[in-house]
Amino acid sequence: MRKVTDFALAGFAAICAAFALAVLGGLVVVVAGRGASALDVSFLTGEMQRAGAAGGIFWHLVGTAILLVSAFLICTPFALGLALVERVWWPGERGRRFLRTALYTLNGLPSILFGIFGFIVLVQWCGWGKSWLIGGIVLAMCMLPTVTLALVERLRAIPARYLEAAAALGLDRAQIILAVLLPQAWGGLISGSLLGLARAAGETAPIMFTCTIFAGATWPQGIKDNPVLTLPYHIFILAQDSFDPAVGARLWGAAFVLLALVFLLSLLALPWRLRHHEEADV
Amino acid sequence: MTRAWSWFFSMVAAGAFALLVGIFAWQSRPVWSHEGWRYLTGANWHFRQQEFGALPMIYGSAVVALVALLLAAPIGLGAAIFTAEYLPRPARLAVKALIELLAGVPSVVYGLLGILLLRGWIYDLFARFEPLSGDTLLTAGVLLAVMILPTVVTFSDDALRAVPATQRRAARALGLTRAETILNVTLPQARRGLASALLLALGRSMGETIAVFLVVGRQDNQLPAHLLSLRPLLEAGQTLTTKLGGSETHIAAGDPLHWAAIVGLGLILLVITGGLTVLGTTLGRKSDA
Repeated sequence: MRKVTDFALAGFAAICAAFALAVLGGLVVVVAGRGASALDVSFLTGEMQRAGAAGGIFWHLVGTAILLVSAFLICTPFALGLALVERVWWPGERGRRFLRTALYTLNGLPSILFGIFGFIVLVQWCGWGKSWLIGGIVLAMCMLPTVTLALVERLRAIPARYLEAAAALGLDRAQIILAVLLPQAWGGLISGSLLGLARAAGETAPIMFTCTIFAGATWPQGIKDNPVLTLPYHIFILAQDSFDPAVGARLWGAAFVLLALVFLLSLLALPWRLRHHEEADV
Repeated sequence: MTRAWSWFFSMVAAGAFALLVGIFAWQSRPVWSHEGWRYLTGANWHFRQQEFGALPMIYGSAVVALVALLLAAPIGLGAAIFTAEYLPRPARLAVKALIELLAGVPSVVYGLLGILLLRGWIYDLFARFEPLSGDTLLTAGVLLAVMILPTVVTFSDDALRAVPATQRRAARALGLTRAETILNVTLPQARRGLASALLLALGRSMGETIAVFLVVGRQDNQLPAHLLSLRPLLEAGQTLTTKLGGSETHIAAGDPLHWAAIVGLGLILLVITGGLTVLGTTLGRKSDA
């Protein structure tokens, strides 16, 4: 009887894990299987034509890239500032704990709320209309907790003897930050940002009211009323009202490209994360 | 210099997030004074008649999220037991990395798969109950279950790994089998962390917008006639997030009362997901202290 239970639990657990992995595999196979036929060089370098039934996704890739780069640039100083405040400048453990709880809570907030927030403040109050920069700001807000928490974890993992050695050499706190903490935290910033960007790249809810339209945008010429085309919004719109088979293949092609982009960003972060895991567990 | 700079950016960030909460509270004031508590308990939403009751949306969000959790919890927990208790370390990290890849799949891609596959499966599977279409609360719940599965697995795995290895070794030394060790030692000791994992996953599923939007049908004013019947699961519905993400948000922007009603849905969502996350985070922290 005991052996049966032992065997049953192991089997149940293995089946559950296999199921989770099978979902991942099945998802990739379905998206790749339907999207691969649309993929060629002209799909990636061509403009969209006939509302997605012909042409490619060049400007969608450009728009998504613009959003990701601006989100990364906006997010970085804030993440560094918050992480340094949490690790170095905030006196007392209670305040730090409060800050960490606040970050976890923000991480759990639905991204649509950030979209509505950007719509109220930047689109309407500031009168920017739909603008790529609002998208960058809103996505930066979405990814800020992820990046900050990754940085904080990384800073925590720095051995105390490094800091003691630096202090013994007579460095003040600002010098320790520049000479010891930041060089060591570099990997945390990169891996955290890559993870944050991987999530931001696929977000639709925060950008649909703030910075993206379906057709007719190329390079932004300024900030106000300069929306961009994006992959997620393209897929979102076509998924709702398209029964044209020519659109179908291109729709799945776009989904395949988006999925590949997201996986690429997460996989790039993997080496840093694995190394960090190992250091933390030892 | 570094210090002033750190504080400056932190304060701006804190200010932005405080402004976010403030705006949702402040901009929704008109609807609270117009409807009072009926805003939360009213079953009808007809914006042309200036009638705003959010209950059907709250119901939709809750049902969809609970279905997702009911399906994802056992599978996710099982998978976490497998990675945390059975797999050697390198394999565990590899499996976890793959499962976390699944967490990164954009919700619009899940939505697309929902439209293509899941909608049809649900319609065929429940054909004898004659659903009007494949766009149902159940479809959204099943799709969400797949989406929150990685969250459940990752956090449960962390919770199980937080139980000291000495506890397992002691149990094995007493002659307990592996299964008995897991069921009697590891799971009870990790229960706070596991509860935290489920709460965080529930918060995630309440806040998901795009995938649900594409498969839930977005039918307003749907409340079940009988609470205990499962039939309403096969009807289309509307959730807090799908209402916010829909075209009504654009229509409402001109009218202060209608806009307040839309923003108020955001406030309800903010309070629910924020509460679940705070609860989940504090529960989880105590387990590893």
